[in-house]
Amino acid sequence: MFATYLNSLHESMSRRVALVLLGVAILIAIILNAVVHVRTLPDGATMILVGAQPPAPPVIAVPSMLESILRATGSLWMLLAIFAAAPLLTGTLERGWLELTFSKGTARWKIFLGRFLAGLTLYSLMFAVATLPVALRLWWKTGIETWQIGVALLIQTFGFAALLAVAALVTLPQKGVALPVIAAAAIWLLTPALAMRQETFYRIFSSHVMRGIIDWTYRILPKCSELEEMCVSFVQGRTIASWWPVWSTGVFTLLVLGLTILLLDRKSF
Amino acid sequence: MTSSAIEVLDVRKNYHTFRGKMLSALQGVSLRVEPGTIFGLIGQNGAGKTTLIKILLGLATPTAGSAHVLGRSPKNPSARRRFGYLPEQMRLPDYFRAENFLRYMGRLNGVDRTLMKQRIPMLLERVGLTDFRKSVKAYSKGMQQRLGLAQALINDPEVLFLDEPTDGLDPLGRKDVRELLVQLRAQGKTIFLNSHLLSEVELVCDRIVILNNGSVARAATPQEFTRGTGEYLIRVAAVNDAVRAATTRIVGGDTVEWERTTFRFTPRDRTHLNSLLDRLRGAPVEIESVEPVKLSLEEFFLQVVSGREP
Repeated sequence: MFATYLNSLHESMSRRVALVLLGVAILIAIILNAVVHVRTLPDGATMILVGAQPPAPPVIAVPSMLESILRATGSLWMLLAIFAAAPLLTGTLERGWLELTFSKGTARWKIFLGRFLAGLTLYSLMFAVATLPVALRLWWKTGIETWQIGVALLIQTFGFAALLAVAALVTLPQKGVALPVIAAAAIWLLTPALAMRQETFYRIFSSHVMRGIIDWTYRILPKCSELEEMCVSFVQGRTIASWWPVWSTGVFTLLVLGLTILLLDRKSF
Repeated sequence: MTSSAIEVLDVRKNYHTFRGKMLSALQGVSLRVEPGTIFGLIGQNGAGKTTLIKILLGLATPTAGSAHVLGRSPKNPSARRRFGYLPEQMRLPDYFRAENFLRYMGRLNGVDRTLMKQRIPMLLERVGLTDFRKSVKAYSKGMQQRLGLAQALINDPEVLFLDEPTDGLDPLGRKDVRELLVQLRAQGKTIFLNSHLLSEVELVCDRIVILNNGSVARAATPQEFTRGTGEYLIRVAAVNDAVRAATTRIVGGDTVEWERTTFRFTPRDRTHLNSLLDRLRGAPVEIESVEPVKLSLEEFFLQVVSGREP
């Protein structure tokens, strides 16, 4: 599995999409660092200037800055990273390549999981490249702890794992990268609407049965938008109010991934 | 008694189309391949050859029947560590170089890193790939095929499955592959060869199976397939009326057809043949050659698949 994981990272770096996204992540990191200025006033106090906004003390500015970074990069990266990670999954089943790899002495699930983990690493790497430099700089210059961004990175990666699992499942019955990307993007778009179903779907559907179906759909599907909110509140207050989005997304990911591996193992090529 | 390297017992494979129609790729195929032999599988496109190879490699599951390689199910990954496979349509991702491609293939087969360090340069030299530092995207079809052969050997397999191994190779490359196969057989490896180049199959295989419409049509040694037809080709220096008369007297019939200086003759027995030769000498005419007519594997194959089998 580790050999496949390393090979998949190597492969993803050879693909244009991944390289472009990594380039965008580096550009974001450069821009964020360019707009954030840390100034020491004559009285010795440190103030943070972000663009044209008035200066603010680090205790207020740093969590606020981290929140802005998360809102700007977190969820959108999920969607963009799917474009880079999905080809790793579909590439596993490309004709001429699957015969080479699946005929070797490594179980199919290990090969597939290696590529899945490489997809997650790709997302984490992009997220880290975009956000960690400015977080580290703020900590270095102000002394205010910014390690919460690391926890946010883990939580967001967890949400991305759910989307990638959906893409993996859709990879099996067909060829091509379009459908897995569309399926993952559809889930990503649907989850915030389901999280706010009282304001969205309930206004369209008044039937008790339909609302019940919508409730269960919400319960079953991953909670990408709620995970993002969780990250934001953790960065600001270092507390997690409810673990429900984490464990329900975890159960969803495990079930979808388990089903994918089971179907892959039984599939005749 | 030695156990078979490959044993296929009444294997059937059905596919269902989206419209619910059932397609039968294999209809009860049974065969055995002895260890240390080269086994040739031939058949038309769609005869079921690739499906059979896929079942033997654990890539496909038979609908019914059983397939065992080295006494174990090929579905078991640890069993596959003793196999080597060169697929017919191999896709090599562009980002690889020959060395790291072989290293990855070796890792998938659980080959030790230090062993691979020794084996990779040896294998590349063995398949004639000296320029192995450049990216595989710069490789010609023939070079990719050579690399494919090297990856099939990276784990020093006991059973080697080769699907069209000489595809894309020039005549010299084909000869190299044939020699390699013979060397591997001498080392005790079992080789399962699927090729459309029947002349090659005839040259290297110990046993051949013809697959037709998903079932075994014939199984024999190349010698059995290419045995004499009972016909002889008699070639003389020149054909004149005396030669024609001598021929008519022995063969019988009103007219005897000579194709320029060659006559195709099916004698009842050896005495019958000798009496014709005596007559021709007495004509007189100089006999240049007398050759028994043998079927080539290709001719035999064509007769089998067209239903005109001898």
